Amino acid sequence: MKQDTLLRQVLPSLVLLAIALAAPSFTSSGFALRIGMLVFVYAILGFGFNLLVGLAGQLSLGQQGFFAIGGYAVVLLQTNTGLPLLAAMPIALVICGLTAALVGATLMRLRSHYLAMATLMFGLIVQGMALRLFDLTNGSAGLRMPIPNFAGWQPTRIETYYVVIAITVVAFLVHAFVVSTFAGRAFRAMRVDEVAAQSTGIDVSAYKLKLFILAAIFAGLAGCTSAIVTRQVDPTYSDVAIVISMLTLGVVGGLRSWYGPVIGATVVTIVPQFISTLQALQPLLYGLGLLAVLIFLPRGLAGVIDSGIVYLTTRRKTMPLGDKVAANRGAR
Amino acid sequence: MMEKLLVLCLSGLTNGSVYGLVGLSIALIYASTRVINFAQGDFVMLGAMIIASLLENQVLGPVLAILAVLGISAISALLLEALAYSPLVRRTDPLNLMLGTFAGSVIIGGVALLIWGPNQIYVPGVFSMEPVRIGVITTTAQQISIVASFVVSLLVAWWILYMTNFGLTVRATGINASITSLMGIRANRIIRFTFIFSACVSAASGVLVGPLLGGQVSMGLGLTVKGFMAAILGGLGNPFAAAAGGLMIGVLEAMVGGYGSSLYAEPVIFALILIVLLIRPYGLLGEFEAVQR
Repeated sequence: MKQDTLLRQVLPSLVLLAIALAAPSFTSSGFALRIGMLVFVYAILGFGFNLLVGLAGQLSLGQQGFFAIGGYAVVLLQTNTGLPLLAAMPIALVICGLTAALVGATLMRLRSHYLAMATLMFGLIVQGMALRLFDLTNGSAGLRMPIPNFAGWQPTRIETYYVVIAITVVAFLVHAFVVSTFAGRAFRAMRVDEVAAQSTGIDVSAYKLKLFILAAIFAGLAGCTSAIVTRQVDPTYSDVAIVISMLTLGVVGGLRSWYGPVIGATVVTIVPQFISTLQALQPLLYGLGLLAVLIFLPRGLAGVIDSGIVYLTTRRKTMPLGDKVAANRGAR
Repeated sequence: MMEKLLVLCLSGLTNGSVYGLVGLSIALIYASTRVINFAQGDFVMLGAMIIASLLENQVLGPVLAILAVLGISAISALLLEALAYSPLVRRTDPLNLMLGTFAGSVIIGGVALLIWGPNQIYVPGVFSMEPVRIGVITTTAQQISIVASFVVSLLVAWWILYMTNFGLTVRATGINASITSLMGIRANRIIRFTFIFSACVSAASGVLVGPLLGGQVSMGLGLTVKGFMAAILGGLGNPFAAAAGGLMIGVLEAMVGGYGSSLYAEPVIFALILIVLLIRPYGLLGEFEAVQR
């Protein structure tokens, strides 16, 4: 691993992990833990979204559909077939992947806004089905998740928090691994110029499909995790509000960085808690804040941290101008 | 039997006209900027809410009130363009631009929430709500005015775009803004014009549909999504195809709701749009302009 990556991606990620691990020793109220776990749920969603939109530039607004499929699958597999949670989760992820393969094979032929609209339709259809297939999903009331049980071990509240962190770390590692492999570079090439990527031997449509499946599995994992955290699945899992949160967390956190989704997820989950006391002013402040981030921090909060690290580590040395420019460039 | 079909058709055309007008507005802005304006539905909301406030308190007569609505919408559209679009356009990341207009939509909704509160309000009709009989179907002047305004807006947009020199410059900007600028056309002004024109069209449809839908601050996003659907179904690059897409969605919605169950109206329409997109990836009437971007 290059020293640059170590410094600019791994270090901040480790700091975030340390904060997450230490957080329960400062506040361990049920509410704070729940908010903390929701941050990780959104972070996992954000990793998938980051790969899809940030890395490959495929604007899919249907991730919440897979979020819901993952959540419903993990609950239904447990209640209807009596599978243990440890078996239900991988099967739920496989279901998400297979659905994505079916849907993606046709949807990923579309481009830009048409892709966005079609995937949004997919998310709305999933929500519609969750509402209307009453016998299976219990309609808008949703389903209760059985008490999490990992092969006989029933974690307490605080243990559940660490289980969720463990799941997030796995998701983070897979995300970081994909970003740094050949596939990651292929995705980046696709974002910049599809035709050029194709002409250098990248099978664009095959990679798009793989990417769509991978992102769906991330969303499904987030759905499973959310079911564990909230002990409940309902049609709001596939709500448009989830997409909007995802877009916001992507942009506020900073697309294309390893740890951006975690920061974005923190903001998206915690800020509404603070401004909810402001009642009617809430949407206005939210909109103004989002616009301000878009205009002044185009690389998101992760971009600010990254620039800070670059500044701190390069200030003392005198560098040739060319190296400085290279160092200041975004972690593309 | 025939009667039911006609009634459903008319109610579908009424709702479809509104979707179509939002779709037309979205497609018009898209045509000149390549951006989906997520705040478009909020202009419909503004139209309905402002006309309700003005007519309820008898501040202005109907004609002046409509002019005031158009004026306020035009100013809001200018603000949206100046604060959310122009600062972001240089970054050329379409996702950021789209999110910028979404932030604009949240801000417009937020201001409206402070003014009108979250509850649904009664919007008085500009035209009479008395039932009128045409042949076998019963309708109101208000309902007819919506369909009429749809036709008029379409004609005006067509006249501007295809019959005037100015329209030629608008279409040229849509094809390539930087080359158009080199030709001495002020692309910025054109973009500002499309924002204002679209806002006025949407606000006018809000004035007319307000009495039927009721005015609510949160109605914007739903209408944007419907308008976006209309534009995608018809074809994003062409404002008139987008308007036709809106009519289709409206009529379909009414038919599925009338003959099937309104419970299944939404999924059926979503599935239908999905199928259309799979067969025609650039919309029913769209051209392959999306390939080049």
